[in-house]
Amino acid sequence: MASELSGRAAIVGLGYSKLERRSPRPLAHFAREAAEAAVADAGLTIDDIDGLGTIPNIAAYGNTGDLEGIDIVTVPNMVRMLGREHGIRWHVQTPGLCPDTIMAAAAAVASGACTYALVWRAVNVPKGRYSDFSMAQARGEHQFRAPYGFTMPAAWQSVALRKYMHDHGSTREDMAAFVVQNRENTQLNPKAYWCGTPLTVEDYLEAPMVADPFCLYDCDIPVDGCVAVLLASAERARDLRQPPAYITGYAQTTWPTRGGFTDSENMWEGGAAMGEKLWESAGLGPADIDVAMLYDGFSIFLYVWLEALRFVGRGEAASYIASGATALDGELPLNTSGCSLGEGRLHGMAQISEAVLQVTGRAEARQIKGATHAVATVGAGTLASGGLIFSREARA
Amino acid sequence: MSGRDAAITKPVPVPDELTAPFWDAANRGVLAIQHCTACERYVHPPEAVCPDCQASELAFREVSGRARVYTHTVVRDNVTQGFAADEPYVIGIIELVEQERLVLVANVVGVAPEDVRIGMPLRVTFERLTDEIALPQFTPDEGD
Repeated sequence: MASELSGRAAIVGLGYSKLERRSPRPLAHFAREAAEAAVADAGLTIDDIDGLGTIPNIAAYGNTGDLEGIDIVTVPNMVRMLGREHGIRWHVQTPGLCPDTIMAAAAAVASGACTYALVWRAVNVPKGRYSDFSMAQARGEHQFRAPYGFTMPAAWQSVALRKYMHDHGSTREDMAAFVVQNRENTQLNPKAYWCGTPLTVEDYLEAPMVADPFCLYDCDIPVDGCVAVLLASAERARDLRQPPAYITGYAQTTWPTRGGFTDSENMWEGGAAMGEKLWESAGLGPADIDVAMLYDGFSIFLYVWLEALRFVGRGEAASYIASGATALDGELPLNTSGCSLGEGRLHGMAQISEAVLQVTGRAEARQIKGATHAVATVGAGTLASGGLIFSREARA
Repeated sequence: MSGRDAAITKPVPVPDELTAPFWDAANRGVLAIQHCTACERYVHPPEAVCPDCQASELAFREVSGRARVYTHTVVRDNVTQGFAADEPYVIGIIELVEQERLVLVANVVGVAPEDVRIGMPLRVTFERLTDEIALPQFTPDEGD
């Protein structure tokens, strides 16, 4: 039994800024570029937009800045840049994950709180070293991690890959198979930062170790950029320029272990809890999905999500990927655009946008023929995660 | 440990209402973990309410200090203040013998990084940072 919100809202426009690294341009310019592109994609004008939503988190953990227009782009800033002080009827800005905000916007357009809601996520490459932790005191949740030099997200996640390799007998060669396949997909995505830069198994195996067993290519590629999506009710969506990507499933979960990522089993448990809610909300299951965009801020998350969503059993993800099942011509094409590892660190918007493009037949050289249902997940299972299912038709 | 810039110190824990008993014990060379008086389960890091049974009666209990490597990483590209001279260093997710999945973070010391293995027996040791703070660390347990 699908949720009452299933199929009542759709993404009707998609916009990207250029993706760069350490750009001299302020982040605000990237955000406006993406916003205007999303509105134009739908065949609308800025004056049609009466809802705004964003996720104003800074890009990286650690002591990065939070300057408006440089490190973050909030709703008030976007209102000014679009000149919509008098036109916005609904807005939300919630620290968290992009599915949270997209779900809020879907409810807003489905209920009539606003007509067209624009949701964006703008991220930058912070100045200095990424995730630099230069605090002399470790307070709160930091006090049991930072004094041990455990402040880097790559290190937090690398312990999960070590345990997975130990428990399930997978190897770095198995992960190389995924990362290389992902980079091949990336070559078909002109928006992607790594488009034009192929990667071999040898490149992966010989890359510098960041936090063993994570090398450089187990980490996504930080970019300066913004992705925006435009939402409308299912009724309005039918009359716009692009085919709608109906939101037929959605779920979010908090799995609030205070120890954070210390026990990696929490990732699978929290991910499975989100997954069950997601399938229930759409009245669908893993066998109904034609193409999957699973969050890959770090490589290990692919194993988490393939297993937590029940595409494969526990411990089977590495061999499933190595079998070729997740290639563009496989039974479950995975991260067809390259997503975070290949397109760029957009905190889940790469997953959302490619799922939209696939179910609307707009994925160009990466298009999976007949893609009807696409799933996108964001987050790592533990702490918080969210998922969306996009469908070609409003009724799953 | 030689060669470290003395002006750049590692982050020092700041005890709070929830965690002060942990750090007080560590300062005396004792590993004490929060324990729920209702469901008899250990909790770490300390919580205001037991995450297993939602009771609010939690007290600290001395544990054996014996543990195993649950999983670990070897940091070779450090971003934490004060750790540059330590690279490569081992961060262990340490599972205490008292309870399954009762894990804490510590460096695994007294062993070459490449020799650390999941399941390796460990025992607690303490690294003094300041007059008030000693860090629980773990080292291979050579005993029985």
